[in-house]
Amino acid sequence: MSKTSESIASFCQRHPRLHACALLAENAIKIPVFRCQDCGQCILSYTGFTCPMRCPKQMRNGPCGGTSEEGRCEVYPERRCIWWLIYRRAKWMGRVNKLRRLQGPADRRLEHTSAWLNVFAGKIEPPSWGKD
Amino acid sequence: MRNAECGMRSGEGEAPAEPVQLRSGSNLEKLLRGEEFVVCGEMSPPQSVDSASIAKKCAYFKGFVDAVNLTDNQTAIVRMSSVMSSYFALSGGVEPIMQMTCRDRNRLAMQSDILGAYAAGIRNILCLTGDHMRFGNHPDAKGVFDLDATQLIQMVKQMRDEKKFLCGEEMKQEPRLFIGGAANPSGEPFEMRVLNLAKKIAAGADFIQTQPVFDVPGFEKWMNAVRDEGMDKEVFILAGVMPVRSVKALLYMKESVPGMRIAPEYVKRLEPITEKEAAMEEGVKIAVEIMKQLREIPGVAGIHIMPVMWESITPRLVEEAGFLPRPEVPEDESNGQ
Repeated sequence: MSKTSESIASFCQRHPRLHACALLAENAIKIPVFRCQDCGQCILSYTGFTCPMRCPKQMRNGPCGGTSEEGRCEVYPERRCIWWLIYRRAKWMGRVNKLRRLQGPADRRLEHTSAWLNVFAGKIEPPSWGKD
Repeated sequence: MRNAECGMRSGEGEAPAEPVQLRSGSNLEKLLRGEEFVVCGEMSPPQSVDSASIAKKCAYFKGFVDAVNLTDNQTAIVRMSSVMSSYFALSGGVEPIMQMTCRDRNRLAMQSDILGAYAAGIRNILCLTGDHMRFGNHPDAKGVFDLDATQLIQMVKQMRDEKKFLCGEEMKQEPRLFIGGAANPSGEPFEMRVLNLAKKIAAGADFIQTQPVFDVPGFEKWMNAVRDEGMDKEVFILAGVMPVRSVKALLYMKESVPGMRIAPEYVKRLEPITEKEAAMEEGVKIAVEIMKQLREIPGVAGIHIMPVMWESITPRLVEEAGFLPRPEVPEDESNGQ
């Protein structure tokens, strides 16, 4: 990210009202489209543009051992396993190899902060746009 | 002598292999790197302060298995902690594999328990995400899930090999643990299961224990994919076996345990048996058959017996499957501990 965008992003993060506006704009798109869970460390580009934090165990690297044969969640069987969805969508998009990336532990200080600002401020890695 | 790293062998006519480079020096690691087919057992810690019960149960495992898993609040039901249970099991004369889940602890507590476990003499850890609280006796509890199983494996590896805490700070004396992970060969989608295993290996898993196998052809299909990717050379795979006492237990797993595939033939064999003792005998027979079949599958480095609430059957299973006597742990020739 350029020095200018980094400065602007850091400035916005230091001012609560600016930050709130950025978060509102981000959530206005991400919540309806991706059902974003506001972790502030978005890895959508690595997970078939499906939010893995919807998992009841918040698994960022892959499913637990409990996905049923029909792809249902072990904890909430009325739902699909989010990683079952992630795999299907990643395959359809030609982005399966991106699932191989090891996702490190989430920085919990970034919860409920704007992931967009975090990218520009250099706090998290930018998305990976290209296909496999 | 064997070449280093996960089952690579020196062939004839080549220079003598270097001494095995042990990552932890645990007995389990020495046996696996010495290419012995290992047998692991499993023990549930008591739902009380009765540590003497652990020592009593050790009698079912000593001389019959090479290492014993101590579960960590399995099924989200409160039991004595796996760290302390593993310590009592060690005092009881067996090699413990301490299970650690991500459900009940954050990253600080996990690192803290890892340091304490190593200091207490524990040398093996199995890293799991953990059953959700919903299934246990405290469904109102908060699930921590600060890390997932893959991240826990990566963290333990960083502590062991880089001598660093997760935050990057260095430590003076590191916990040299043999790191395990879990795998489910029968979950869907199949390709995701193989990819998941690859990630755990990349994160640093030394060995993998699978869910119980009740569908050997399905397990063989998974092992074919594992061997195609060369993963059997990178990690030791221990196939899970669970003896059942009745058709009710088998059907419960079929209907209520997600991700478990049960071959219909085993249900057909147990269903007509009404008498309790006869059903137990048939359950033992099925488990022994599965153990023998799994032994023959290339790439399988051992068996992990999970006798839930039936630890006493372990000696009989090991004997009838032809796994006795258990091998002696080789002398430490390397720079392990």
